Amino acid sequence: MTKADGTGTYQLTAEERRVAAGRDLIIEVIASLMIPLIQLFALYVIIHGALGAGGGFQGGVILASSFILYVIAFGITGARKRLPESWNTGLQSLGVYIYAGVGLVCILVSLGFVQYLNYWALPLPVAYEMRRAMGMDFVEIGIGITVMATMTSLFFDLAWKEKEERKEVKESNEGGEKK
Amino acid sequence: MKAESIIGLLMVILLTGLFFYIVEDVPPYGDPSSPALQLVRLDIRVDAAGVEEELNSGMIPAALVEALAARNFVAPSEIEEVTAGEWDAKIDKGEFYYEEDEKYYRFKKEGNQIEVYRYAPVVRYLEKGLEETDVPNIVTAVIVDYRAYDTLGETTVIFTAGISVILLLRRRGKL
Repeated sequence: MTKADGTGTYQLTAEERRVAAGRDLIIEVIASLMIPLIQLFALYVIIHGALGAGGGFQGGVILASSFILYVIAFGITGARKRLPESWNTGLQSLGVYIYAGVGLVCILVSLGFVQYLNYWALPLPVAYEMRRAMGMDFVEIGIGITVMATMTSLFFDLAWKEKEERKEVKESNEGGEKK
Repeated sequence: MKAESIIGLLMVILLTGLFFYIVEDVPPYGDPSSPALQLVRLDIRVDAAGVEEELNSGMIPAALVEALAARNFVAPSEIEEVTAGEWDAKIDKGEFYYEEDEKYYRFKKEGNQIEVYRYAPVVRYLEKGLEETDVPNIVTAVIVDYRAYDTLGETTVIFTAGISVILLLRRRGKL
């Protein structure tokens, strides 16, 4: 930002930047306290899906909600730096790859003996039932990753679009005034 | 940029091939080795003496009906012999969720007794789910193990929705 007398630029302090972006200190502190807890709870829900209430879909949505809270509290520019578009798109397909890959590993390892997603064919050094339970855990993690990345990318894309449109409208208005 | 496009195309081909390969192997309906269609032992036994002759002649044995009623099971309405010592029993459409004349019980002669089995995947999931999968949450066991194809499709639906939104909204200045 240029100085008032126009001789040079100076770095904004954190407080000035916060005020300029229309953010609030209380919201930021509460969000920075809540986000790790929400993420921990989401991972617990995904892993606990086999033992009680929970699962990949629910856990993935809770994990995505933590990123949405980050965007609400700290603005979208910083959130885009923390979770870049390329990572988000990669994670989206990674989840489906994990899910389909577990089934493919079962077929490959058993040389086509099993017909469909039979998790007991996984090459793990545990008992039959335990292998099925662990296969379910892998699949839940895959679902969680896909759901999290999709929800986050939906929110980011919609929010970013709106911001960009606003900027375009502003620019076109300014251009009209000049003419 | 060119290398990225080629890698992307290869990944698309790989994913498509993966899906075709996995989904091609869905068992046809009625595959006897499919876990969902195996019979469930109901732990109801009747002495074979007398009952066997009645079953062979197509009648419904009173002793069998009594034993089923003691466990709150519906009485069969029609008996049909499959092989020697094995009978299929159908039930009438008593409640709205039963198909008309659904095959419901399978009676097998084992030693001196007639053992009652039942055709019902749901009963199998509930009774054998914990034993077979070691997962106490039966909902997870059903959606991710017994009905895993369903969930694979659901995950793909979510993935496709996300990709569609990316294609629609994320082409900044490329339109």
